[in-house]
Amino acid sequence: MLEMLEYEFMQRALLAGMLIALLASISGTFVVLKRYSMISETLAHSALVGVAVGLVAGFNPLWIAVLVAILSAWLIEYLRSSFALYSDAILAILLSGSLAIAVIIVSLGGAFNNSLFSYLFGSILAVSSDDVITILFVGTLALALLLAFAKELYFIAYDEEVAKTSGIKVKLLNFLLVTVVAVIIALSIRIVGSLLIGALMVIPTVAALQYRVGFLNTMFLSVIFALLSVISGMTLSFYFSLPSGATIVLCVLLIFIISLIGNKK
Amino acid sequence: MKFKIPIFDVKNLSFGVRGQKILSHISLEIFNGEYIAIIGPNGGGKTTLIRMLLGLESPSEGTIKLFGKKLSNFKAWHKVGYVPQRASLVDANFPATVLDIVNMGRTAQRTLFSFLNKEDKAAVYDAMVKMDILDLKDKMVGTLSGGQRQRVMIARALASKPEILILDEPNTGVDIVSQRNFYALLSKLNKEEKITIVFITHDIGVIADDIGRLFTINQKAIVCNNPKEALSCEEMSALYGIEAHLIHNHKHEH
Ligand SMILES: Nc1ncnc2c1ncn2[C@@H]1O[C@H](COP(=O)(O)OP(=O)(O)OP(=O)(O)O)[C@@H](O)[C@H]1O
Ligand SMILES: [Mg+2]
Repeated sequence: MLEMLEYEFMQRALLAGMLIALLASISGTFVVLKRYSMISETLAHSALVGVAVGLVAGFNPLWIAVLVAILSAWLIEYLRSSFALYSDAILAILLSGSLAIAVIIVSLGGAFNNSLFSYLFGSILAVSSDDVITILFVGTLALALLLAFAKELYFIAYDEEVAKTSGIKVKLLNFLLVTVVAVIIALSIRIVGSLLIGALMVIPTVAALQYRVGFLNTMFLSVIFALLSVISGMTLSFYFSLPSGATIVLCVLLIFIISLIGNKK
Repeated sequence: MKFKIPIFDVKNLSFGVRGQKILSHISLEIFNGEYIAIIGPNGGGKTTLIRMLLGLESPSEGTIKLFGKKLSNFKAWHKVGYVPQRASLVDANFPATVLDIVNMGRTAQRTLFSFLNKEDKAAVYDAMVKMDILDLKDKMVGTLSGGQRQRVMIARALASKPEILILDEPNTGVDIVSQRNFYALLSKLNKEEKITIVFITHDIGVIADDIGRLFTINQKAIVCNNPKEALSCEEMSALYGIEAHLIHNHKHEH
């Protein structure tokens, strides 16, 4: 266990991973309660478009991923609130659309290589100290926003209309939530990978829901589950040379299965 | 006249979807301290009217004033308590204790980060005592009975200390004894706490003694100032299903 902490890249990856676990699980609680789980998958694929542009044009892929994910999140929220479209259909359309665009950009730019692979599935080796600083800085901001509006977001997840008639700025806060989720997802794809980040956002909350406890305890449990999965997943990934994102997801799945069986009615 | 500025001042309100008229030319006023029942056939537009009054639906024409302000400029939403139709059919898996739900009644008044202060906690406690759900406070809402949930939803609305309480058929699936207790409670809120009550119900016979005025909504609104008289008059039954005439209304024309 301690051997892995001697490597600087491992320290970086663990630090970044734990922050991402915290962010993904807290934002995930609201997303899951709003029945909006699929948005994490869609935004992760939109973030890939940013990565593709970054790789081909030679900019920092992380920043462009953040930008594109935010734009995509706003588009989703706009379509959802302004047109008579099913929100799961909007998510499905944007998911495949984003992926198609990303693949075209990458193949035109000739950047179909290992570095793209690491954005798809995550890699702890890929985390630079710049990445850690970005995640720390932006992640803390995102966390502060989520906590500042946690009560309101919870109310909205419970009943959007009653929240509105209580004087809560529902539209604004919905935009805020999807923006923060977009940022968190774009920051996470380095470590967990765009194909797997949805799992880290959704599964800890779904596992926590099995315990049938109140709001704060549910959120608390989901944070614990996410942290546990990231720490154990990274440890396993280090000692057995497994891909980090996939190992993390298997750990969170295991926690989910245990929670499910343990709380069977 | 006993009451001065109306809480709701609705003029010439209409609502239609794709050419189909759902409500047409509704004008009414709701005054402080009133207990109003709204009845009408299924699909008559009762819920639609309430949703427009609360800004959840935009009218195709007409104006709504709430506490003397245009609806779009209205900010003091804590003065309005709303319990929507089917509110008590909460998702059984939603992670909320009774306390979590009643706390929501204070959420909109809190500032960033701040937790509930003494005043909030007192209001939440007060609302739970009034609705007699204090002993349920740590239970998960999903595990409660229909009648218990109904009381939780009203406690949430009461926690913001509203001046008007709008209830849209909150008693679907509640047994008769619970319903009677519930009506007694509404009457008490109106008489003792001076909360204005607007109550959509199909159960008009039971509360006829309590209510002050009756609105019948079936595309058009008919305001009736003497509910008991209205109930006994023959037109009443005729109102269901057809657009009809005025029964008894000396305060408003139309
Ligand atoms: N946004 C909308 N789009 C289409 N139709 C609508 C819309 N809102 C209301 N309606 C229609 O308006 C009519 C009135 O509905 P409303 O729910 O107001 O009736 P109600 O009086 O509350 O009935 P109930 O007693 O069954 O609750 C219905 O036919 C409904 O389908
Ligand atoms: Mg209705």
